Amino acid sequence: MSLYQLHRCVWDSVRAASVSSSNAGSHFDVGRYDLTDEERKAFEDKDVAALYRIGLHPVLLNGFARASGFTRDDYRRVLEVFGTGEERTGRWQK
Amino acid sequence: MAEIVLAYAASHAPMMAAARDSAPEEQRKNFFGALEWLRDEARERDVQAVVILSNEHFTNFFLENFPQICIGVGERNWGPTEAWLPIAKAWIPGQPGLANHIARYTLDSGFDPAFSHLLELDHGVMTVYHELNPEMDLPLVPIVQNCAVYPLVPLRRSYEFGKALGEAVRTFDGLDRIAVVGAGGLSHWIGHPRVGDIEESFDRWFLEQLEEGSLDQVLDMPDAELELAGNGAHEIRSWLAIAGAVAPGTARTLAYEPIYPWITGMAVSHFETS
Repeated sequence: MSLYQLHRCVWDSVRAASVSSSNAGSHFDVGRYDLTDEERKAFEDKDVAALYRIGLHPVLLNGFARASGFTRDDYRRVLEVFGTGEERTGRWQK
Repeated sequence: MAEIVLAYAASHAPMMAAARDSAPEEQRKNFFGALEWLRDEARERDVQAVVILSNEHFTNFFLENFPQICIGVGERNWGPTEAWLPIAKAWIPGQPGLANHIARYTLDSGFDPAFSHLLELDHGVMTVYHELNPEMDLPLVPIVQNCAVYPLVPLRRSYEFGKALGEAVRTFDGLDRIAVVGAGGLSHWIGHPRVGDIEESFDRWFLEQLEEGSLDQVLDMPDAELELAGNGAHEIRSWLAIAGAVAPGTARTLAYEPIYPWITGMAVSHFETS
């Protein structure tokens, strides 16, 4: 098992709800993926914080959160616990 | 030979279609006013086809195989894929002659773009394309870049690809008048604790660099520094490709609005195409 399996699971689930040019991705079964207990629980519980902590890619996390009915304000509140501060500065910051 | 008769770049938040009215009226008016002006320009210049560069959001590609650049060479492509995006789902006409010429030319120029005979188009392309052509009958060559999954194409490489793209368009003999458009950015965060923040100072600085035509500070920026303006800021690669396509032409900012309900620094820039 690997983090790849979680990514694939989330990707397939999000795609199953999309309107693609074919219906090939429309059958989704979480049992097909080799997930750890923690990963499966986070996925099935739609636990955005746990998925973030485990390391789900942010683009997939965004799509999954949206597909799961979270507004961005909702999931920002959930994720804020991981910190929003930044000490580094970019060259555009005077 | 074809001419690039219109070149611009615009941000592409899905909420510009899905939650249009959530933006303050003045900001909405400025942002869409710029896009409306460009739509009128496209009609005035009788554009025959448009090349739109956007970024991949895991809509076509996944971790098994994630091209850095992919050119849509098909006779048609499909979009938008998001069920909730209020744009009619449709087959969008492609321009295989132009697309294959771009693929061939950029291959001969030292780039290795992937190609696809059927791209699924998400909000990244479709919001901007729909604003340009609400009838959705203008032939479209979509090009998607990897702006999300490390390792990313260096910023300078995107700019150089844009230069090759511009030369490709100008050496195509199947059409006369072509538009090139970049879609994405500017600062924003997604799937991140800072979702909803906008780095206005980055956005204004970036737009100034485009206007001054002094891009070295941008093109030399490491990804880790750019990401201080948000993980969505990597999408400026589409803007840089357009800057390359029309170099040495500079940009004029038509609109910049940090639209917090859309969680994105929303800008529109028009590039000289002499």
